[in-house]
Amino acid sequence: MQETVIPLLAYQILAAMLFTIGIVGVLVRRSALVIFMSIELMLNAVNLSFVAFSKQNGQMDGQIFVFFVMSVAAAEVAVGLAILVAIFRSRETANVDDVHLLKG
Amino acid sequence: MTEAILFSLFSITAVFFAVNVIFRRNAVHCALHLVGVLLSISGLFVLLNAQFIAAIQILVYAGAIMVLFLFVVMLLNVRGESPLLTPGAAKGFGFFFAALAFVELLWVALSGGGSEGTARPPAALPPGFGSPAEIGRILYSTWLFPFEVTSILLLIAVIGAVVLAKRKFA
Repeated sequence: MQETVIPLLAYQILAAMLFTIGIVGVLVRRSALVIFMSIELMLNAVNLSFVAFSKQNGQMDGQIFVFFVMSVAAAEVAVGLAILVAIFRSRETANVDDVHLLKG
Repeated sequence: MTEAILFSLFSITAVFFAVNVIFRRNAVHCALHLVGVLLSISGLFVLLNAQFIAAIQILVYAGAIMVLFLFVVMLLNVRGESPLLTPGAAKGFGFFFAALAFVELLWVALSGGGSEGTARPPAALPPGFGSPAEIGRILYSTWLFPFEVTSILLLIAVIGAVVLAKRKFA
């Protein structure tokens, strides 16, 4: 049986689609929680293209980079959600349109 | 053939779940659909000879990070947003700039990424490509310093989260 090889371009287009969906989520949703989830979506799209390039070039450095992206994402989620909980405790809202303290 | 079928399956489910993540009203549904995206992407990682990364994706992302998300969603008990999306012109701008970014990404992908070119045949994979042993060898030799810096980053994140959660706000 002939094993087909998926071209790198297919993975790149899939990553571009997932990244764009993430951008839409960040720009149009109002809930800060869903905005965080969209950021995770974008990070995952980037991870996918890292791994695809890693296989294309036969080098494992891309996979190591995914490792670092995941740890940064974990740190970001921990701090971000802590900020969100703090905002919710003081203002009773998780809506980004209602948090405009820094706006003049 | 098998690879093509699995790739189509995982990419379709990934995009389907991703669209659901951003257009569901209930934040719990969003989080559960995000788990679907993460599982699909880990399937794609297996297709790309990244078995260890796929396992880490399920353990760390779908396991730990999503539990944190669900925990906060339950903790905040946010009511459904009455207008789901940002009202007014901001929504139009959002979709417009996202479409612009998509066109740009596609253009970069299709133009072959500059002089390097993506039309080259894939390189031959060395033995043990993507195995935990190989990952560990590279991580603790070439990438040792970034690895140690990451541990400091995680420590700072832990301290920051605790400080933010304990502080009393007026």
